[in-house]
Amino acid sequence: MLSFRYRIASWTMHHRRVVAAVFALTTLGFAGGLRNVELKTIFSDLLPKDDPFVQVFKDHPNFGNPLTVTLMVKRKDGDIYNAETLSKVWQITRDIDLAPGVDHDQILSIATEKARYAEATPFGVDVKPLMEDHAPSTLEEIADFRARVDKSPNARVFLISGDATATLINATFIEQHLDYGEAFKYVHALVQKYSDAHHDVYLAGQPALTGWVYEYESQMFTIFAVTLGALVLSLAFYMRNVVGIVTPIVTSLVAAIWGFGFVGWLKSPIEPLLMVVPLLLVARSFSHCVQFTERYYEIYSHVKDRVKAAEITMGVMMAPSVLGIFTDIVGIFLIAIAPIPAMERFALFCGFWAIWLIPTGVILISLLLAFLPAPRNVDKLIGRGGDSGVHRIIKAVLRSVARLSYGKPARITAAVVVLAGAFAVYSALQIKIGNPVEGSNLLWDKSEFNTAVRQINRHFPGVNTLEIVFEGKGSGDGDRVMHQADTVLTMQKLQSLIEHSPAPPRATLSFADYLMEGNRLFSGGDPRWMPLDPTDTGVNAAAQAIMLGSSAKAFSNVVDFEQVNGTVSLWFKDNKQDTVDAALANARRAVEQVQIDHKNFRIRLGTGTIALQQAMNNVVHEYHWVIIGLLNLVILLGCSFAYRSFVAGFILLIPVNLANFIIQASMHLMHIGLDINSLMVAAIGVGVGIDYGIYLLSRICEEYHGQDRDWGRTLTASLTTTGKAILFTATIMFIGILPWYFLSALKFMADMGLLLVLTMLINMVLALVVLPLLVFLFKPSFVGRKDLLVGEGVDLSAFTASEPELADAL
Amino acid sequence: MRIKKYDFNYGRRALMEKAAKGVFATGVLTPLWPLIARGDNLAKAYPDELVSIEAYTKGKVKPGDAITADNVDVVKDLLDPIAYQQVKTMGRRIIIVPPTTDITKMFNHDFLEATLKNKGKSKFDATGNVVYEDGGPWRGGTPFPDPKDGKEALFNITLSWGRHDYSLYAIRDWDIQPSGDEAYHYDFVWAELNTTARADGQVFNGMKDMLRLQSVWFTSPQDTAGTSFLSQWYYDQRKFPELYGYLPAFKRVRQFPTNQRFEPLVPGITFFLSDAWSSGDPLLTWGNFKTIGRQPMLGAISQNWKGSLPNWERPRHGGGKGKTFLDTYMELIPECIVVEAEPVGYPRAPVSKKRVWIDVRNNMYVSSITYDRRGEVWKSFETGSGQFVDGNAVFKDTSGHPAWSWTHVLVHDIQSNRMSILAHVREVKGGYQTTFNMDGDVVNKFFTVQAMQRLGAA
Repeated sequence: MLSFRYRIASWTMHHRRVVAAVFALTTLGFAGGLRNVELKTIFSDLLPKDDPFVQVFKDHPNFGNPLTVTLMVKRKDGDIYNAETLSKVWQITRDIDLAPGVDHDQILSIATEKARYAEATPFGVDVKPLMEDHAPSTLEEIADFRARVDKSPNARVFLISGDATATLINATFIEQHLDYGEAFKYVHALVQKYSDAHHDVYLAGQPALTGWVYEYESQMFTIFAVTLGALVLSLAFYMRNVVGIVTPIVTSLVAAIWGFGFVGWLKSPIEPLLMVVPLLLVARSFSHCVQFTERYYEIYSHVKDRVKAAEITMGVMMAPSVLGIFTDIVGIFLIAIAPIPAMERFALFCGFWAIWLIPTGVILISLLLAFLPAPRNVDKLIGRGGDSGVHRIIKAVLRSVARLSYGKPARITAAVVVLAGAFAVYSALQIKIGNPVEGSNLLWDKSEFNTAVRQINRHFPGVNTLEIVFEGKGSGDGDRVMHQADTVLTMQKLQSLIEHSPAPPRATLSFADYLMEGNRLFSGGDPRWMPLDPTDTGVNAAAQAIMLGSSAKAFSNVVDFEQVNGTVSLWFKDNKQDTVDAALANARRAVEQVQIDHKNFRIRLGTGTIALQQAMNNVVHEYHWVIIGLLNLVILLGCSFAYRSFVAGFILLIPVNLANFIIQASMHLMHIGLDINSLMVAAIGVGVGIDYGIYLLSRICEEYHGQDRDWGRTLTASLTTTGKAILFTATIMFIGILPWYFLSALKFMADMGLLLVLTMLINMVLALVVLPLLVFLFKPSFVGRKDLLVGEGVDLSAFTASEPELADAL
Repeated sequence: MRIKKYDFNYGRRALMEKAAKGVFATGVLTPLWPLIARGDNLAKAYPDELVSIEAYTKGKVKPGDAITADNVDVVKDLLDPIAYQQVKTMGRRIIIVPPTTDITKMFNHDFLEATLKNKGKSKFDATGNVVYEDGGPWRGGTPFPDPKDGKEALFNITLSWGRHDYSLYAIRDWDIQPSGDEAYHYDFVWAELNTTARADGQVFNGMKDMLRLQSVWFTSPQDTAGTSFLSQWYYDQRKFPELYGYLPAFKRVRQFPTNQRFEPLVPGITFFLSDAWSSGDPLLTWGNFKTIGRQPMLGAISQNWKGSLPNWERPRHGGGKGKTFLDTYMELIPECIVVEAEPVGYPRAPVSKKRVWIDVRNNMYVSSITYDRRGEVWKSFETGSGQFVDGNAVFKDTSGHPAWSWTHVLVHDIQSNRMSILAHVREVKGGYQTTFNMDGDVVNKFFTVQAMQRLGAA
């Protein structure tokens, strides 16, 4: 009686034209979805959706200036008060008004009419722009301009640096007209145009960051092509025959079409920042195909019938293949537990892609092997007649490695593993959450963007903000909550509490500050008039004063267009975790002191870079162990079922978890914190890394019988056969992923590539050393069973016999 | 019955030829102004397809029909690009009405009389300003009934915005967000007093160096009530007007930079001073005037005054919440001169040019568009006008004739998709009513800094 998997294999081969047609039609169906495939970074989707900080951000997306680019003009050899620099600022201000999608009402620099100073006159108040209708060019004009700046406190803090060597130009874009790529290209060209021997021009702001990411993402296709090319070359180098090259390529291509087509039909955009993982899947598919094909050669050399050989290979390889891919799928899908929309979309895309590896990597590959002409050099390919060159060296090394796992050396190895493991676990548990970078973690520290952020932070309050939002309750139409005394006075009190806290911010700003300035000006200019009359009438009067003759957009950094919601902005010197923790703790204390809930508004903490960074850290903190725990549980159940033993599950999980701890310990020793990257890599590392163990354990079970139950010979034989395949698989992964580290200008991708490579390498080493060691130490009974789902054992001599005998053999 | 003497495209071809050859006499079949002088039917100056929307669209649209997203492409060439987008994508609906053929319904009485009386007596002085033939200030009416170029066409508007020597408009404003919700709602009063270029031919109070006094004061909502602005325009169109703002809470007058004309007066409004009457700035602070064509156009030039409705307020429709557009009635205007100008006197202007469509029969603009410095369409300033007669409801001007004035303005910033609706109404909060009768000492009542302070205190 044929087992179920062999019956599937037999049916498939007997109906191979029908099955091939089904594959062709399915592939065509998925290919139809390719036209809808969209590679797109949706930045808000990178944030955890259920985090309270992110909810504040989504409810008030305008606070924290997400649509504003900031250009800083820095005079290298003096201050900005010279004709050349001021003329440059004037011209950049005019030029940025030509940027595609810019909001002409929201351009602010010392050259715009919005940067004003005021003087009390006998008739009232005379409010004038800091700069006249041209950039100051004579010494007298420059001196006059400087005197005007002295009368404009806001300009001195937010537009001109304390040392007067730098000035900012801010431009806000209209979201529905903003094409990040186009806008970035334009604004970045201004940076290049206006930088010279005396001036540096720096560009920062969220649209600039997005622009950089898009710019670098376009490089991604090149890297993709390079790595794919390298994979194909290594394949050609290893296989050296048409079947061996065509089969993995076609199989992987079909899986890719299904993977992309599926999300195309779902119209779910693909996150380009995570494209390393699909490449891992391609590499995974390649290596799987290589092992499948090698097994096919082995069988073919016995049975000499390619259809029969394909059928047997399919039957033999089905269970271990499915189990290996099953763990990949679990690892990828469990990432979706982290409530980050980009991760969910990614899990959907890559998880299903991994699922598609089952039909393509088990059935399609068998069909291809049955259809394609058999290679003539099969005997050479399977090493009959002895190994040569590299293969001999590899086998020798693996034999030495195997030696570590049994007999007397096993004790020493075990002691080393226990000690190293204990150290790794201890160190890993010390790791901190969060991996702060001054600027963006998506880009390298030395990138132009992060350099600009550092420079701007150095000269101005900077970009590390925490926004505490005052949210109107919407009690009535036209109810301008930001014009009410309770709101504004609470803002002032909150600012005062935070400014006097143990770790005060560099600067604070709220609508109340503008109102006080308005109050001063319209009361005659004396600073003693700055305090607001604590009544609705007094506060509203000040609000009318500053809004007179202005667009509401001019204050969009502190209040919304309708003046119902506002924010208190706090600027911090950096975004290191200690600063973030202190900032949030102080803010929480202050908010509690002024009370969260008021009659017409409530206070929400908060948004801005500080809060959003913390939101990401919260996800890592909350979900890291949950994901790893669940992954262990599911894999334990799956593997225990396949090997019909819980011990097998534990034996497989110990090395991958140890690998995980080693990676985290290394990161901790290198002062790198846990972040979203490491969360993903950990999940994929366990899911994909366990494949090595599965291959090896299956082989051990097979060899155990062939080697007369001698553990030493069993382990040596397993390592010198499957161990070689594992080495090849690891190499393929290495080739597929490592180039991203060197080629990608996006640090996020590069980091993920490096972490994945390291995880895979450590997993490989531990699979080759620790797994055999565990088998030797525990000597589990399941190894001796012949009814394992994943058993690769087959008596090939039976296939030279007649069909009935064959059935008995299976 | 009109005899169809000409082929279908004759009218449009003739307008294009006129524009191409620089022929500026208005009318196609016969010059327009002799007809006007005789009080003849204006339609005689144009072939059928420029007078009848039915003929123009070959029967696809006729008076009484509504232009909606379904049929707007038929009349796409007759709308400014923003109005087309409003109908095509935002649910705007425009009702088509029969054409106006009586010139007296396109002017207020005194202004038409002055135009006819002073025809041919205008000239440019050495400074580029328009003066009467004796070199003194212009004496009323349009100085260039047959404008030869864009500059003359715009002078026709600039010298007397509202065409009454004195006007006080009660205005209700709604400022609509991209979502269709109302963000702001104001009641305010806009008053204009021409000191020169008056239809009565006089110089008011001896102020011959001034063109007009103009003020705006807000009466609602409560937090804005009393906020006011005063603008004093010089006759010399090279000079910027003086601009003052007044805040009642502080009892302080704020002087604005004179060239700050591309900002709203109060938050929420998309309307800049520069936009007013499509000619909100002194004319010679703009330059590079060009006539870029002549064309028929759909315009809201009659039947938009609904005196029979409470407070003259028309229903609204369209946009996200059904409140973005006033119900509007448009008719086919046979000939508009299309003029462009650039803000050469404003080094900081966010605008690169404006394009204005002017009905050649009364030389009043129908719509204008401003372009940003990238040359992209930015804002429209669409104005409805007409005689204030609605069935039995009639509103008269100082001469005792039915008044003619503007009825509404739609200021649409298409880039940020914010709309301001300004409706000319009977009365606004504070009790101010629309009037063209100069009752008492209006200068000291509305047009001085002290007057602003009094208005704020009230």
